[in-house]
Amino acid sequence: MSITFETAKQHQNDPAVLCCLRTKGTIISASDLEDPSIFPDLEESGLLNIPEHGLTIGQVLGATLERDADSMTPLTPELVSHISENQMDELESEKITTSPNTGEDPTHETQVIRFNIDKLVGQIELPPGLNVNALPFATTASKKAEDKVIRTLTQRAYPVDQVCVGAETSFQDKVLTIREALCEESLKADPLVKNVELDIIRPEDRHIYSNTIMDVIPIATKVEGILGEGVTHVMNGVIVVLTGVDEKGIQVHEFGSCEGYLDEKIRFGRPGSPDSEDIMIRVNVTVQENTGMERRGPFAAHKACDSIIQEIRDVLKDAPADASTDQKVFRDWKKSGKPRVILVKEIMGQGAMHDNVLLPSEPAGVIGGRRNVDLGNVPVVLSPNEVRDGGIHALTCIGPATKEVTRHYFREPLVNLMAEDEEINLAGVVFIGSPQVNDEKSYVSARLGALAEALDVEGAIVTTEGFGNNHIDFAGNIEQIGRRGIKVVGVSFCAYQGQLVVGNKYMDAMVELNKDPEGFENEILADSTICPTDAERALIMLKTKMAGVPIEPANRKWSQEVIDANEQLMS
Amino acid sequence: MNRDYKLLLKQHIGKPDSPCVQEGDWVERGERIALADGRGADLHASVSGTVIEVNSEDIVIRGKKPEHDLFRQLPPGELRERIRSAGIVGMGGAGFPTGIKLSQEISGGTVIANAAECEPILNHNVTQIEANPDEVYRGLVYAMEAVGAASGIIAIKAKHRQAIAQLEKVIRDERITVFPLRDLYPIGEERALIRDTLGILLPPEARAITANTIIINTETLSRVTQAVELGRPVLSKNITVAGRLRGGPKAQVLMDVPIGTRVGDLIEAAGGIDGDYGEIIMDGPFMGHSVTQDDVVTKTTGGIIVTMPFLQAKSPLGLLVCACSASEARMRELAKKMGAEVAGVEVCKHAVYARGSLKCRNPGVCPGQADRVLRLRKAGAGSLLIGNCSDCSNTVMSLAPKLHIPVHHVTDNAMRAMNLHLIRKLQK
Repeated sequence: MSITFETAKQHQNDPAVLCCLRTKGTIISASDLEDPSIFPDLEESGLLNIPEHGLTIGQVLGATLERDADSMTPLTPELVSHISENQMDELESEKITTSPNTGEDPTHETQVIRFNIDKLVGQIELPPGLNVNALPFATTASKKAEDKVIRTLTQRAYPVDQVCVGAETSFQDKVLTIREALCEESLKADPLVKNVELDIIRPEDRHIYSNTIMDVIPIATKVEGILGEGVTHVMNGVIVVLTGVDEKGIQVHEFGSCEGYLDEKIRFGRPGSPDSEDIMIRVNVTVQENTGMERRGPFAAHKACDSIIQEIRDVLKDAPADASTDQKVFRDWKKSGKPRVILVKEIMGQGAMHDNVLLPSEPAGVIGGRRNVDLGNVPVVLSPNEVRDGGIHALTCIGPATKEVTRHYFREPLVNLMAEDEEINLAGVVFIGSPQVNDEKSYVSARLGALAEALDVEGAIVTTEGFGNNHIDFAGNIEQIGRRGIKVVGVSFCAYQGQLVVGNKYMDAMVELNKDPEGFENEILADSTICPTDAERALIMLKTKMAGVPIEPANRKWSQEVIDANEQLMS
Repeated sequence: MNRDYKLLLKQHIGKPDSPCVQEGDWVERGERIALADGRGADLHASVSGTVIEVNSEDIVIRGKKPEHDLFRQLPPGELRERIRSAGIVGMGGAGFPTGIKLSQEISGGTVIANAAECEPILNHNVTQIEANPDEVYRGLVYAMEAVGAASGIIAIKAKHRQAIAQLEKVIRDERITVFPLRDLYPIGEERALIRDTLGILLPPEARAITANTIIINTETLSRVTQAVELGRPVLSKNITVAGRLRGGPKAQVLMDVPIGTRVGDLIEAAGGIDGDYGEIIMDGPFMGHSVTQDDVVTKTTGGIIVTMPFLQAKSPLGLLVCACSASEARMRELAKKMGAEVAGVEVCKHAVYARGSLKCRNPGVCPGQADRVLRLRKAGAGSLLIGNCSDCSNTVMSLAPKLHIPVHHVTDNAMRAMNLHLIRKLQK
């Protein structure tokens, strides 16, 4: 495919190959040449063999073709004449020129400093001792920028050593008791829920069969204030695992479900999964037959589970402050004078179990929130604290290894890292749905672009979960941000199985999330989701891009070595 | 023998005409039967006879094809009024009302008479020039006068030596020259013509007027002459009838076919269909569309081609859509007729949407097709159906065979019916 002059300039040292038949006497220009970025594909398909003595694009521009030559002909000295060796120099735009030294004492007060400016790039270093007040321009005012706290969230942690089922729900002396009748009562949450069972799985008893894991939900409750500020109580050492099946025994997932033995199907210790010492409260919900793949079925299961957790939250609210063993304080900052950036988190919004509850009344709850599908999947801004206080309740589904469950958002490493980073000002976390229909995808992407523009950010990180369909949104979201001149980094699972099917020129800084040795969605819960090291790579990538440092083009194929090398660089 | 002639109320760009006759009326050949609604072109009875049907889409006249060119004359009027009232439209296929085109002012500009006839098989424009070069020449002079042009160009393929010699013999005005064109598709595309004759490459969204130029088909010009000199409205069309006809593959030119003639009757007049056939194409192999024998000739009909039966495709097709050729919808229709699934669709890099349709950035100059071909292969195409111009088809043919991907072209069945070289590699 013929290229533009700008592309030719970028590829001046790459081989020159004709894109189409050109006749003898043609003065070769960029529009006669094939795009070097597809050479690997062409060579792989046997369409192109580049000879060793081939000429480069820089050499052939302006040269004359000596005989008719067809598409895919690499240009060689025998084929062209008037090869201009100077062409390369003319194209060399990054040459540094130094102005001659005036040979005078630069500190002398009365003299004039002469700059020979060919190009406004780089910086001018003034000699030490120079009286800057004598300069005809003002030096940058050192306005002291002050970081301001907008809101504070205190999380008090309460350890749980033992969980049992009993007559009343209570929480005392690190023992959580759950009322036996709760399961039966939770059926009232939704008529589609046909059966609810609850069991307690201690860390040593994990080799136990389970239906597919629909969610991992922390137990947390508001004690003071609203989501994102005030005080929240959280139970440590215990986690709710929601599993589901329909009356016919069909797993509540489309494909890639993770039913099986819990010790094999969970990557313990990921931000979203249970930790290795966690006691699991497994809530197994049976929904009405054939509703597992409709929107109402999975949501009913989440409602039933939430009604059980709510009773636990109510006793957790009364836990005395001094029984808390750990206290975390999260702050939303306004960091004036630091570059504004956003974190964009793509969430699934195709309906069925591809849905999320935004901003419930209780941390990681269901009641009081709005679902992103109902909101039309348009971007919604949360503050970092709102995310960390359980502002997202996730209804995840296919591809358990790459999907972000509710606990993931509760402990999102990228939110934490970006919120606390000293060099950037995280203006907000934007949640944008991935709709089913392509028209809707471009609609919401365009709104994201407008939002980024209105927020006047300099940089953005876009993350997505899953692969395939959502990569259409991923590419669209990055393009809408990138085309506005905002530096953007993409974070996704791609590897072997999830190779990007679409792309654009703004997708030049990508962070791979894969943790599977073969590059597959391996059906192990949370395996290839964002971990702290991924978050660090993403943020450094963004800072690098914002600083204008060129990012090397990605390899054609996924390679773990690139990730290893980048992690090596950071450590 | 009486026949029915169905005259469509919309044979031009713009709104359909409003009928001004009623069922049962007797109409004379040349009588106005429908009025332009706004920026259209009037419609006249192409035969004398009885109006047997008037509806929202057409007027049907039962009558006889005249033996002599007798007609009711247009009312007297100045040059532009005559052209307007004659109901002339762009007969190269575009159907833009000529009255409106020639009411523009291009003082100092150029009128280009388009005799490129770049669709393969079609031959009626060149045949008509050879039959009456002076009528075309005088039409060009009238058109130049109407728009205030300073010069005129008759653009015709260099290979038509006889037509060129005859034109040069009749040209008496030194402002008018003949410009020889290369034998490539789509050399007659408006912006390609302006590029080759005047050296100006207009952007896809620009019209010819941007280059102070008006482009007009040569048959249209002869109709201008007839309107101005004889007061003759548009009653008939010159048509190439070709393909699988009795008596072997041939391209016959039927002059002055009455507007509204049934396609089936026209084919019969040319000898009739010879055995099995694939489809009947109206107009050229690249841009034409499939019709039935009951469709009718309009003011823009250029060709009727009876094609070879379709070869059944053996694998899913990748469609490569070009701006100057069959639309994606037409290509999908062809894929269906070949019994093939469509694995993927790619549009040539040079094709961009402008003024309501795909336009080529630089008509007839290939931008390279390697990435498109690879993408189609990746989408699962086992063979390709392409609509590309000569130059781009040549590029595809230097790629696909190396990948062992068979190539079909939208023109194949028409070309095969005529025993012509298929549109593949450029012929040396």
